[in-house]
Amino acid sequence: MMKNILIKFILGFSLMAFLGCNDAIDIEQPGRLGAENAFLSIDDLNGGLLAAYNNLDTTYEIGLTAVLTDESYRGIQNGGQNLEFLNFNLNSSSSYVGSIWASNYGAIDMVNRILAAAENIDREDDPEYYDNILGQAYAIRAYSFFKILTFFSTDYTDDNALAGILRTTPTTPDEIFSSVPRNTNAEFYTQIDLDLNAAENLINQDLGNKFVNLDFIKALRARMAAYRGQYALADGYAAELLADYPIADQNQYMSMFADADDTEIIFALERTINDSYDGQGSAGGGWAGSLFAFSNPNATGGPFMEVSRSVFNILDGTNDIRLNRNVNLAESSIDPDYETNNNFLNDDVLLVFKYPGSESKFLMNDLKVFRSSEMLLIRAEAAADANQLGQVATFIKQLRDARYGSSQALPSYANQQEAFGAILDERRLEFLFEGQRWVDLKRLGNKGNRSIDRDPRECSFFSCSIDNDDFRFTLPIPISEVIANSEVEQNPGY
Amino acid sequence: MAFVVQFSFAQEKTITGTVSDESGLPLPGVNVVVKGTTTGTQTDFDGNYSVSAKTGSTLVFSFVGYKSQEMIVGNSNKISFAMTPDTEALEEVVVLAYRTATKETSSVASTTISSSTIEARPNANFVQTLQGQVAGMNIITTSGQPGGNSTVNLRGVGSISGNTEPLFIIDGVPVDEDNFRSLNPNDIESLSVLKDAGATSIYGNRGANGVVLIKTKRASYERDLQIKYTGTTSISTLQRHYYDLMNSREELQLEKDYGSGYGSTLSQAELELRAQQANTDWLDVFFGKAYTQSHTLSLSAGGENINAFTSLGFHNQDGILNKASSLKRFNFRNNISGKSKNDKFNYNTSLTINYSTSDEPLSIGTGGVNRNIALGATSGEPYISPYDYTGDGANIPANFANTPLFLLDLLENQVYREDELKILASIDASYKITNDLTFKSTLGIDFTDVQSLYSEAPDSFNASYFAEDGNTTPGRVDQDVSRSALINFSNSLTYAKSFGKHSVEVSLFTEYFKAHWRSFGFVQEGLDYHTFYPGDGAGFVDDNSANDWFVDTASATVRNAGLFSYFAFADYDYNTKYGISGTIRRDASYRFSSSNRWGTFWSVSGRWNIDKEAFMEGSVFDMLKLRASYGTAGNQDIVSTSGQFAPFNAPDLTRDLFATGGQYGGVNGLSVGQIGNNDLKWETIAQANIGLDFEVFNRKLRGSVDFYKKNTTDLFLPTPISPALNGGVSSISANVGELENRGVDLELHYDLFRSLQDGGFNLTLNFVGNYNKQEIKDLGPGGDVAYTYRVGGPLSEIYAAPFVGVNPANGNLLFIDIDGNLTEDIDEIDQRATGKNLYPDYQGSFGFNATYKNFFLDTQFNYTLGVYRYDFDYSGYVDPTQIGQFRHSRDILDAWQQPGDITNIPSLTATNLSDDSFSDRFLRNSDYLRLRFVQLGYNLPKRYADDIGFSFVRAFFSGENLITWSKWRGFDAEGTGSVQYGYPTPRIYSVGIEFGF
Repeated sequence: MMKNILIKFILGFSLMAFLGCNDAIDIEQPGRLGAENAFLSIDDLNGGLLAAYNNLDTTYEIGLTAVLTDESYRGIQNGGQNLEFLNFNLNSSSSYVGSIWASNYGAIDMVNRILAAAENIDREDDPEYYDNILGQAYAIRAYSFFKILTFFSTDYTDDNALAGILRTTPTTPDEIFSSVPRNTNAEFYTQIDLDLNAAENLINQDLGNKFVNLDFIKALRARMAAYRGQYALADGYAAELLADYPIADQNQYMSMFADADDTEIIFALERTINDSYDGQGSAGGGWAGSLFAFSNPNATGGPFMEVSRSVFNILDGTNDIRLNRNVNLAESSIDPDYETNNNFLNDDVLLVFKYPGSESKFLMNDLKVFRSSEMLLIRAEAAADANQLGQVATFIKQLRDARYGSSQALPSYANQQEAFGAILDERRLEFLFEGQRWVDLKRLGNKGNRSIDRDPRECSFFSCSIDNDDFRFTLPIPISEVIANSEVEQNPGY
Repeated sequence: MAFVVQFSFAQEKTITGTVSDESGLPLPGVNVVVKGTTTGTQTDFDGNYSVSAKTGSTLVFSFVGYKSQEMIVGNSNKISFAMTPDTEALEEVVVLAYRTATKETSSVASTTISSSTIEARPNANFVQTLQGQVAGMNIITTSGQPGGNSTVNLRGVGSISGNTEPLFIIDGVPVDEDNFRSLNPNDIESLSVLKDAGATSIYGNRGANGVVLIKTKRASYERDLQIKYTGTTSISTLQRHYYDLMNSREELQLEKDYGSGYGSTLSQAELELRAQQANTDWLDVFFGKAYTQSHTLSLSAGGENINAFTSLGFHNQDGILNKASSLKRFNFRNNISGKSKNDKFNYNTSLTINYSTSDEPLSIGTGGVNRNIALGATSGEPYISPYDYTGDGANIPANFANTPLFLLDLLENQVYREDELKILASIDASYKITNDLTFKSTLGIDFTDVQSLYSEAPDSFNASYFAEDGNTTPGRVDQDVSRSALINFSNSLTYAKSFGKHSVEVSLFTEYFKAHWRSFGFVQEGLDYHTFYPGDGAGFVDDNSANDWFVDTASATVRNAGLFSYFAFADYDYNTKYGISGTIRRDASYRFSSSNRWGTFWSVSGRWNIDKEAFMEGSVFDMLKLRASYGTAGNQDIVSTSGQFAPFNAPDLTRDLFATGGQYGGVNGLSVGQIGNNDLKWETIAQANIGLDFEVFNRKLRGSVDFYKKNTTDLFLPTPISPALNGGVSSISANVGELENRGVDLELHYDLFRSLQDGGFNLTLNFVGNYNKQEIKDLGPGGDVAYTYRVGGPLSEIYAAPFVGVNPANGNLLFIDIDGNLTEDIDEIDQRATGKNLYPDYQGSFGFNATYKNFFLDTQFNYTLGVYRYDFDYSGYVDPTQIGQFRHSRDILDAWQQPGDITNIPSLTATNLSDDSFSDRFLRNSDYLRLRFVQLGYNLPKRYADDIGFSFVRAFFSGENLITWSKWRGFDAEGTGSVQYGYPTPRIYSVGIEFGF
């Protein structure tokens, strides 16, 4: 009897054990959003668009340019940061290289997903909202493609040179492991134009200078035309924008970089407290100012990169507002004998002040992408290319007047080379720590007879210069791509 | 005078007495036999016996688990004594997966450690005590944090990205293998390590890296109450280093000569004055002597049908990192065993409730000068004095030389504490349906609740330094609660029968495992110093409309995991001479439920007791057993995570997921969360093992040797994917690779001296050794990963260009580039595979156990050969770019100064210093021989113990990590990988006492 009950008990147990099994195997974790359910409404598309914007970050090129060219030098609190770049040691494992590649492709991929998902969403629910979202998406993709070309192509004017990988549809599960070759500049430019045209037709709202609008598209077109040497086109776009965005005066210029003035800003990437870039990022990906100092732009803020003497010496003693904006004069200590002082690292402390902070957060600032000053200098370039040297001088004077706060002498250039040289010199001061110097020397250095110009005292501990034709004026394809993609061709020299 | 022939008929007389066990308690059931006759009896419940014997005859006393004792009947009619445990006999029982076997009939490779080795050691975490005890088990402790986790690898490292530690099972319940700080080592009865496939395959998806079975103490039936107390007190200190660090005067002079730092601003006279005022060795400020005390009280008693073991423990340990590191713990355990009167129904319960609170230093091993206390200790400038810190953290000038002051402020103002409640409860019951058929059920639960508190006071250096401009109430608090419950339920049916010389045992099982994790927490920004106290919210500052400085963040997680399996084993034995067993198991893990639902694992093992063969009669071998096994086991923890979260990580890698959260401008949006791998599966280890167990020369030489080969296939490896095609994501993990480990385990014990008398001199020599060779066989389509791993190389291989010296002409570093040329300029492509790696080739221990009269002496020396690590601490000590910021070694004074100097230290202004990161300049061999453990003790003779009312009293002195012989110049030669600014393991001296009544 007892045995019977027990046998039933045991069988019951076993049955229970078998039945209960599925709840141990088929488990769905809470809080998961499957890809198939991600985009179901127009609002979801906007959510994805915000993620596309969130991939855009210029801090990597700002950081790399500052240390690879002649903008910055190791600071008093440098614990080893960036020393390899002061030595021109650039290779496919350099972190800036991988970050530029990954951040731009992050934006491109997100746009591809939004555009594909949009086909299954009903436009009629809110056609203007829908169109504006897709318009912004196309423009972001064009911008990112252009960034890839800018950094990884050997020659912007050569349509046959290789750019990056052109991808306009989301990657399917069986394509995840694929290897694809690079596309040419021609293919890139064609796609960029297609995307910008589509964007222009779809954008129907102006959400301000932190979001893509028609002015953003115009500015991107101006910059791209200038890089390609299509100066008539470039000049046209630049002139239109200058009509709407005047050049800032001295006060506005100072405020602009403290995020308190918008006069010149055509487009800037918003950075605010508690967003995903709110933090230290000494190699990019955080506050712009943290590329140079650990906690604030003052003497006690842990400055590990400082303004290089070569730039400072040009601005020193002038009324150029760019001196006050780029160098923290109140907190810096300036050693007039730095050239002979053995301890100049400790005595000559030139603090970077371009990104002082905003919203009471030190070092956090919006990233200015397109400004009217750039448009003015593009106009100057166009004039130089057309050999209108007097016109170049006028444009340069217009900028200088605004920067010095008083009328400046009209410069004169004997030939085209001098004109381009002057433009390069002006761009060097205007776009200091904005990630433009490396591109400028690459595309115009030989035309203007300018190259990397480091201070002899500073570069005596490292290397002093490389030719404008050096292979390091094109970034290597990052090691993360090369390892995975057997068809990608590495840039020369790497 | 007469020849008197005295015939005294040897008269039979009655001999009586009491036989007791080693603790002095009466031993019932002892067989008492008059040698050469059939006369005999047994001791009763009080250990008393009465037997008829003639004077001059011999009485033989025997009892299972004790050495047989012979006593000659003399004039006295009373013979009483205590029997000594037969320790070899205790090892006869081999604990196996889900069952036990005897040493004779076991066909698998396993080692059992008894409680005597683990008890009363000063390590809070018993895993540290196991170092060097088991052949093939490599245990490395890299942190001196009390109770800190150690890494355990059995027979090499079996995975690249997955979990490489064995499965730990306590009383039949799988437990979290990274957290033993809350458990009391004195509760452990025995610990068995299962090494080959024959033993581990039955654990299926979790057994790939070996299994450690732990049984806790139980009482016995029919025993009076026994009480036992164990107490130890220890002092821990920092092990010494050999970096030859500069003092204050030398450091200032270096700064003055080089032209950087505080020293360069002083005149020679000012320099001398400062050197006299302040000469601090920050190692002595931040590290110091730390005290530990540990007490355990256990009670056990048993009646006819039930027995109970109860223990209470208290452990209070300070870490050598002063004021920043400690562990305090309370333990309670209650193990009950019971049975029905007819012995058909048996049950065991075990319950342990433990509470611990530990203070832990953060950021150890990082370069955070304002966070890592160990960094301040090793690298603080000697001319800064602790008196320079006046308590005003907010106003310390922010430069690297003030690092130790930031950290003094941190000690005052930062709190990090973890409070843990850990409960392990299990019950197993078995019922004999018939004589041959048994049903058994086991249910167990591992419940862990951890509450952590991190707080940074508002007036601390860190809070002020990073505060927004104008923020007068900085500071933050981060509190988290994390709770996990792991439930295991298994049922089995076993049939065991002997037919003449044949024995058969077959078992069927099902097992169900379910785990739940819930956690939540918050980060509070903004604290008011008036009312602030760590852990209390009165000082919390709320968000205001003027700014976003005090916006708080909340977090929460819910995760579930599960596993379901069914399996069986069969065992056949012929005449205890030949045996063969097989196991088979089918597992379904929640991780792979949509890609590869069921996995099958099997093994076959066999043995041949050669010593039982006819041709072996009369040989020197008391035991000679040949065994072999082959089988597969799985590793479902394909992504390694430590801690209570290990069963929950990588829960759904098969899915494509999006995530919600703050995007551009902090506004909520949707981004790509995960790219799914729909082919996901577990890693599989196939292992072949052949071994020999032997006992020779009257059991004087005992040991075993095993040869093994383990192949891990379907290695879960990051496979590179094109970031351009995948939105910037550059790798996804997939099951693609193969890894092989093969080697030899050897264990030897030799009784050099074995005394037949009580109190004689006994000496046993021990040796445990392992040789393991790793080789990567396949890395999938990604192929070799540049400078990381390659097919044909070992794991964690070092890639470097050789550093060959300093150029006498200019003081620059000299290297050999990838083409074999001498050069001053190298780049990452000049790094080549060196064949050296972080893991040891040979490791193990040797030592001896000696007893004489009432004294005992045990030693254990651990050795490790073939370990290479970078000495990054040393690289900092000779780095000229750190002059003015951190401390240096006197080696830097040998720097090259003028052409013609021959030295190994480059010029302080060498132009290629940053190239040494691609070279082996700081690669060091970290092999060591260490006196890991030595213990000298004394057992109070029974008669004195009786006089004071105790059944036994033992006292001992012991030391751990006393001496280390190594070329490594740093604080702790033990370690994996290149630790810099780390928290070394300490040297420990203890004294302890045990007594019972």
